Amino acid sequence: MTLRQETQVRPMDTIGHDTRRIDAYERVTGRAEYTRDVTVPGMLYARVLRSPHPHARIRSIDTSRAEALPGVRAVITHETHQVVYGSGSIAGGRQYSDAAKDMTVHKRYMFDNPVKHVGQPIAAVAAVDRHIAEDALELIDVDWEVLPFVLDVEEALEPDAPRIWPEGNLGLDARNEPQPMGGVSGDPEAGFAAADRVFTDRYTTAFVQDAQLEPRSALAYWEEDKLVLHTPTQGISNCRHDNAKDLGLEDHQVQVICKYMGGGFGDKNGSYYFDLIAATLARETNAPVLVELTRKDDWLGTHGRWHTVQDLEVGVTSDGTVTAIRQRAYSGMGPYLRRSGGLSGIDAYACENVERTIYPVHTNRMVSGNFRGPSEPQGYFPIQSMMDGIAYELGMDPVEFALKNMLRPTDDIRFTNYTLDECIERGVELFDWSSRWRRAPGSDPGPVKRGAGMSFMMFRAGVGPSSAILRLDSEGRYTLFVGVTDIGPGAKTTMAMIAAEELGVPLDQVDVVWGDTDRCPYSVGESGSRTTMMTGFAVMEAARDLEAQLAARGMPSGDEVLIASATPTPSTNGLRRNCFGAHFVEVEADVRLGSVRVTKYVAVHESGRILNPLPARDQIRGAAIQGIGQALHEELLYDPRNGHPLTSGYYGARHVTHMDVPEIEVTFIETDDGYGPYGAKTVGEAGIILGPSAVANAIYNAIGVRMKELPITRQRILEALA
Amino acid sequence: MDQQDEKGSASGSDAKADLTRRDFLEGTGAALVVAGTTPAFASAEGRTAAPAGPAQQAPAVPTTAITLTVNGTTHRIDAQDRWTLNELLRDHLGLIGSKIGCNRGECGACTVLLDGEPVYSCSTLAVWADGRSVQTVEGLESGGDVTPLQQAFIDYNAPQCGFCTPGQLMSATALLERNPSPTAREVREALAGNLCRCSNYNAIVEAVLAAAGTPAAGGAR
Repeated sequence: MTLRQETQVRPMDTIGHDTRRIDAYERVTGRAEYTRDVTVPGMLYARVLRSPHPHARIRSIDTSRAEALPGVRAVITHETHQVVYGSGSIAGGRQYSDAAKDMTVHKRYMFDNPVKHVGQPIAAVAAVDRHIAEDALELIDVDWEVLPFVLDVEEALEPDAPRIWPEGNLGLDARNEPQPMGGVSGDPEAGFAAADRVFTDRYTTAFVQDAQLEPRSALAYWEEDKLVLHTPTQGISNCRHDNAKDLGLEDHQVQVICKYMGGGFGDKNGSYYFDLIAATLARETNAPVLVELTRKDDWLGTHGRWHTVQDLEVGVTSDGTVTAIRQRAYSGMGPYLRRSGGLSGIDAYACENVERTIYPVHTNRMVSGNFRGPSEPQGYFPIQSMMDGIAYELGMDPVEFALKNMLRPTDDIRFTNYTLDECIERGVELFDWSSRWRRAPGSDPGPVKRGAGMSFMMFRAGVGPSSAILRLDSEGRYTLFVGVTDIGPGAKTTMAMIAAEELGVPLDQVDVVWGDTDRCPYSVGESGSRTTMMTGFAVMEAARDLEAQLAARGMPSGDEVLIASATPTPSTNGLRRNCFGAHFVEVEADVRLGSVRVTKYVAVHESGRILNPLPARDQIRGAAIQGIGQALHEELLYDPRNGHPLTSGYYGARHVTHMDVPEIEVTFIETDDGYGPYGAKTVGEAGIILGPSAVANAIYNAIGVRMKELPITRQRILEALA
Repeated sequence: MDQQDEKGSASGSDAKADLTRRDFLEGTGAALVVAGTTPAFASAEGRTAAPAGPAQQAPAVPTTAITLTVNGTTHRIDAQDRWTLNELLRDHLGLIGSKIGCNRGECGACTVLLDGEPVYSCSTLAVWADGRSVQTVEGLESGGDVTPLQQAFIDYNAPQCGFCTPGQLMSATALLERNPSPTAREVREALAGNLCRCSNYNAIVEAVLAAAGTPAAGGAR
């Protein structure tokens, strides 16, 4: 049994039933057209030359030999085309703020000089086929002045560290000033003074590539002064706006098309520099240009989860009440601040006396960005490990400690609904915690030892504006226009289900038009797990509008159509809206080999009403497995001698395969809090938050030694046990 | 890891001996000095595939005339020696179903069947397919009907983003051909060379088992 629904809500006509994707046929027959599958007559192929140095200045760059190669149509560099890549570096990391992009001092360009990380683009070639483009890259001569580099986040903040920016290596805040994030609430000093015991520890987490299976690419062509851009984006509307801004165009002069994309996982709800390269080369050559990133280009030239070093200090009374928490953390952002570098997890505790200082630090590693739950898994792992360990120190069961200290509703913090205690209690039962958890960690005789761990979370599920258009023709067919791209969770199907439910018609009477900014209205983009809540609510409102029109005017006849649209701006009136979850993991550790195998994984989630249980379950299962990968496998290592990345690619990062995967048992506790479409909340990101902390806590329970660095590799376990 | 070893040895099979490494390297080197036109090629049905770009000068590179059967149709093609099988299928026969995820034998998104055996088409030169039979995801349907395996992929939500799906389908097709009633363990072993970054591994295995007549719980029915 891999899915259990415990529902206070009843399935509706369409909503709440396992429903096949409306585009499943295309996905299983090879008909689904991804960006690289699009061909345009006369199109050219482009390749990008990248820096082999972590930090270097280009004294000169000579492209004449490349340009002379037959079949080459254009070569562009920082000398020929200085285009600001606005969404590539933003003060404060606020990706949707034009003002922040404009005022950012640390600007990023399509091609930068000096270069600041291995893999940074420095030139691009368009040619009649990809082999010629590849050959041409080798004919570009660069005279480098190699500069000193820094990889370590703490070394980067030393006064004598190599300077990546003139102002130093601390990221800029929203006022363009180099400042850490965080702040103080309550009275931490008083909190620590009131504690009977104070615990301190240091945790580190690794850089993890988003590593979506489709390598990024962009196909661009110009229709006079209008740019048509096919690119794998999670948000066509934001992608259009970003590109228009950087290219000096109005939004309506850019058409972004993304029909299918091979995985999102974050940081694709906007533009990429290769969009700008494709557009620039297309204008230079007056031909369509497809920029293709190789896997290595993609691995080093895009983004992944920021790696961190985190020092934690927690005060508790002897009865197990947390009285104060202090966090001092460093988030490695690479040379540009594309996203915030924030860390969450401490906010899941009720403790009022909290001091948090998070330094977003520039290094000469590759750029960090959002990956599914951007601030969450690497934020939860340290605090949840710390609290787990404190429970043992006090002779308490970690579940008991969690229920005592987790954030609950207060007079000041009011939720639309709250089920975290229910998630934990159900997990305890379903997992059979009392028989799987060892009161004495590491107490199995071995050498193969089992142990159990748990973790819990709450995550944003806010409502917000988005748009939808719905059309009815005289044949009774409904056409829904939504600006989604469907990155995997099944947004197209969900949107059609909401329309069918609201209109009271069968699902197959609704057609969906998606993935094209010229045909679809604004959608928030499939990031932040918002599409169902926001665009779904717009679909619901548009359907209600259409129903009202039908009641007033009757069915259209002949060539008539009825058209309804909605751009609602819902609000929770000051209430906090969260989804909740608890994961329970059992592992088996072989202390001779240092190997770890997950033997049981129970994930309990409250994500409001589940609109389509089939893909919702798989969002949680897939996310949990990604979390296991982050816990045990994935890392981008660097050679400290030369600043070169060593483990790019799926093999290097030791990605999870079919052979590594346990069965993930998913339970949804369903509710309807009255917000969003039918009470739907966040699903997609919720499932990845707890994997690293729950797995790490289970490993501690099995081997009796606390693992404080992600990933928890065999070598680290053997070293810890030695 | 059996699956990857199998694929590795397929890449190193005797077919490779027909093309020397020197030929291959000379082929790419020749692009530097010789100008000409993109070689045309035609299928047995007389269809002419589109050249790689507009009518423009491009360096000539060594080609080899090969004959291969793709999804039941025989093609005679002057293949550039440097083309991978994946390039031949995607760029020149328009069969976009097999994907490039890594182009270096790591991910399996490009998996096709070569004489019934799954191979990474990114790591198989087109000329190695001379005289052989290739099946891609486009060749699974017959008479407009999807196979029971494809239907199970639909019912059990095996594709999330869908990018790995064609490769998973081809590896699973080969498995069910040689072992119609696999265990879950055997399915995982057979698909070990096909990564899914959405990590929808549970659902993919459930779909294959369902197609084999031993369905697990779940799925839309």
